[in-house]
Amino acid sequence: MIKKFQFREEAGWSHADEMLLCLDTGSWRVERPVLNKEKCNYCGLCALFCPTQCMVNMDDHFEPNFAFCKGCGICANECPRKALTMQTEGDA
Amino acid sequence: MEGTEFDKTKIKVITGNSAAAHGAMLCRPEVLALYPITPQTEVVEEISKFHASGELDAEVVEVEGENSAMNIITAASAAGARAFTATSSYGLVYMYDALLQAAGYRVPVVMVNVNRETPGITAVSSGQQDMISTRDSGWIQIIASNCQEILDSVIMAYRLAEDFDIQVPVMVNYDGFYLSYLAEKVEIPGRAYVDGFLAPLKDQPQRPVLIPGQPTGFGTHGILEGYLELRYKHSIAMERAKAKFDEIDKAFEKDFGRSYGGQIETYRTEDADMVLVASGSLSGTAQKVIDLQREQGLKIGLIRLRMFRPFPRERLVEALRGKKAIGVIDRSICFGWNSGPMYVELRALSPEIGNVPMMSFIDGIANMDVSVANIERMVKIVQSASKGDSYQKVTWIGMEEG
Repeated sequence: MIKKFQFREEAGWSHADEMLLCLDTGSWRVERPVLNKEKCNYCGLCALFCPTQCMVNMDDHFEPNFAFCKGCGICANECPRKALTMQTEGDA
Repeated sequence: MEGTEFDKTKIKVITGNSAAAHGAMLCRPEVLALYPITPQTEVVEEISKFHASGELDAEVVEVEGENSAMNIITAASAAGARAFTATSSYGLVYMYDALLQAAGYRVPVVMVNVNRETPGITAVSSGQQDMISTRDSGWIQIIASNCQEILDSVIMAYRLAEDFDIQVPVMVNYDGFYLSYLAEKVEIPGRAYVDGFLAPLKDQPQRPVLIPGQPTGFGTHGILEGYLELRYKHSIAMERAKAKFDEIDKAFEKDFGRSYGGQIETYRTEDADMVLVASGSLSGTAQKVIDLQREQGLKIGLIRLRMFRPFPRERLVEALRGKKAIGVIDRSICFGWNSGPMYVELRALSPEIGNVPMMSFIDGIANMDVSVANIERMVKIVQSASKGDSYQKVTWIGMEEG
């Protein structure tokens, strides 16, 4: 018995109004950026440099969307005030 | 357009390349992207003439290479256009990634590929190695054997590719040099007849197309099970294409009075003990040899492969079961098997056909003539094997002494 098909069409068409395939690419992450809000002055450089553009504007600071953040560490590297630090995933 | 020179069916002496261009033009493609390459260049020239004279009302894109040509017609087809391109050898492999993409996207484009030897040993000469190098690309591959069949196959190719149950790109192949430049009598059907033949496609459900303002995901996703599902559907669609091609051949005969047998064409095979399997232009010579051998009392027949992908397994088993010996002529090489590729595929059908001698004949590489004498030589080997004599499985005809 063949499973029920995911795609309505013969080819890989998806319809933005009914089905979008979202992939949790954040699961690849080994390290995560952690923010010290005391040091952050909301300059936005972390969001500007983020290659996956996953930084979410929280009005007084930025936070990564961990469903997409790969933990590359560029935000932490670029932060002029060292408000972001990388911590190994799984560590408390 | 009113009152053009292609309104009425007429007979002209034209080359294989011109026949391909006529076939494409008559199907009213909307987007064409073409880059010239020997021995296909004349297709581009003829298409350009049709475009310049107004016979072909389409967007004809002059590209800087074949990779762009395939990408353009793929995108055009995804946007709903009927699209066409033509290439050969180096051009075919230069568009290899785009070729796979077109198949994966399931865009129903039609491409003419004029068979020529592939890069490496630079050979501006005939051979089917280019087509063989793309056999697992997911394209449907058809092989024509004369100029009339080239024109007819292009028309049938659109009916097959665009069928809602198929939606797979189709490659129409014919031998470079032997057919590309051969001028023969060709009946060019009037436009209205071709319109009529393709009309049933309009009654089918609309295939998905890109529409401005309607956000759609296309071809960018499908890992894990999603990818598997799309491959599964593609493979099953290829299976459906076999019977569909037979149906289309019958419909074509009804409309135009010409039939080619669908997936395979059999010639004097019914009462034959021995069968040769071949494809392309050399089939004409092979038929002549069959006739000569029949006069000598030899019960021999010929099967011509018209469809190579999907492989006509069921039809071949039906035609070959009970035969005493089978010889396969290949104009290309299956490296790693030291055999012809079509022979290797046929050997896979041994359990269904029966344990009979099967021989591979490699001939016609790089413009070497597959002559009457060469085929007669093959027949002798097949005949001897059919009597139970020991035989050599693979013979490189041109490499043998004498």
